[in-house]
Amino acid sequence: MELILGVETSCDETAAGVVTGDGRILANVVASQADLHARYGGVVPEVASRRHLELVTPVVTEALERAGAGLEDLNAVAVTRGPGLIGALLVGLSAAKALAWSRRLPLVPVNHLHGHVASLYLQPDPLEPPFVCLLASGGHTLLLEVRDRSGFDVLGSTLDDAAGEAFDKGARLLGLGYPGGAAIDRLAREGDPEAFSFPVARVPGLDFSFSGLKTALLYTVRDLEPEEVERRRADLAASYQRAIVRALSERTLEAAEQTGLERIAVVGGVAANSELRCAMGEAALAPLELCTDNAVMIASAARFSPTVPYPGYLALDAYATAA
Amino acid sequence: MLVLAFDTATDVATSALVLNGEVVGERASRAVRILEDVDSLLAGAALEREAIEGIVVGTGPGSYTGLRMGLVTARALAIALDAPLAGVSTLAALAAGAPGAHPVIDARRSEVFALEEGSPAVMLAEDLPVKPRDAYVGDGAVRYRELLEARGARVPPDDDPVHTPWARHHAALAGGFGSPDAAQPIYLRLPDAEKSLSG
Ligand SMILES: [Zn+2]
Repeated sequence: MELILGVETSCDETAAGVVTGDGRILANVVASQADLHARYGGVVPEVASRRHLELVTPVVTEALERAGAGLEDLNAVAVTRGPGLIGALLVGLSAAKALAWSRRLPLVPVNHLHGHVASLYLQPDPLEPPFVCLLASGGHTLLLEVRDRSGFDVLGSTLDDAAGEAFDKGARLLGLGYPGGAAIDRLAREGDPEAFSFPVARVPGLDFSFSGLKTALLYTVRDLEPEEVERRRADLAASYQRAIVRALSERTLEAAEQTGLERIAVVGGVAANSELRCAMGEAALAPLELCTDNAVMIASAARFSPTVPYPGYLALDAYATAA
Repeated sequence: MLVLAFDTATDVATSALVLNGEVVGERASRAVRILEDVDSLLAGAALEREAIEGIVVGTGPGSYTGLRMGLVTARALAIALDAPLAGVSTLAALAAGAPGAHPVIDARRSEVFALEEGSPAVMLAEDLPVKPRDAYVGDGAVRYRELLEARGARVPPDDDPVHTPWARHHAALAGGFGSPDAAQPIYLRLPDAEKSLSG
């Protein structure tokens, strides 16, 4: 049985996981730093990198333990090479290179976005391409055309904020906690999504724009009396969330139409949003625990990515943005 | 005892393979290439990685990203090769390579890392206490050569190897080998976000 160890440190989750060659998850360990970054209202790169250094070796050790495997049982080490925070990526990449080198194992450098898509290829319900994939998270908002498991083509992306960022910024304007997505989602359930009309930006092609929406919320909150904001916070949250979800779902349907692809999938942290899950009822959704950043998705993507045998990866560098 | 030592906290990443106190190989490149250097050192000495009995890593201070790359590499190797780990400060290694000289590492933002009563500290380059006629070494000394020389200090030529924290010195200075957590980074500064929160 083939075993792949995955390592992921591109943003604020320190993660390691073990996946079999046929896509079964043997271990999925994620040390979230969300609480650590909550006091700053967002991910602070230097804080994240320091935490990754503390966590990455214990997290790898725990993943191997849970999988009941040792390094000697592995066939490859997979690691996120980018895109992401460069200092954070280099912690995971350095760890993965050292682990692979120590056993002369091949290394599989994985594109983080490919990882998110590959969360759909895991057992027990692996999705077969082709499909249109909406990848929405704190760092990315992309529409992808997926023709086979080895990659994807980008159909559209955000021109400004990522969808997850829009949630975070909206939450901050409403005086809610961080991360904002979960906070808005929770509050929106008690509110009226039609109470306020927030614009869904219409940009050309299949791109997204969320900065105007954030500004609209800012003006609305500013124009209301503080007690009114307090009283109608749930309505504001529900209406704001509705606008984001509408932008995401409409564009995704357009993408399906343009490409002629019938199947739609949604991945990334924002895929955990309950209204989006509802709005995209027909879509294939990654299981909740695989929506946010994790390492089993990286190990999964490695099954369909080029392997770099020893010693080709010894000087491998990370990349912050996709080329 | 076969000791592998490396330091990636400064722009020049160093590595050394030391067998029973004898340096059998030494290299200098960049942090991202450190494993390639280690691989070459072993090949050059016709030794296998499994023969490594102790790992020594530079704990800074220096570039935060470089420092972390070295530390995480060392910890992962210590676990994978089941070898004990020790940390040695980059300033101590610099000092060991230039007896009598003061080690100074560039900390960027007009600051330097230096020893203050024997302990690593960060300070503005212009606040560095300078003793006339004493020698100053390290990339910080090179960067602030004018300032130091104006105050009567000596700084060896830029290309003098004395400015590099050679890993042979880490190997020589290594004391208590222990678990992977035995080597902790010396940052000396809080992340900026932390400063603005408490400030
Ligand atoms: Zn992600």
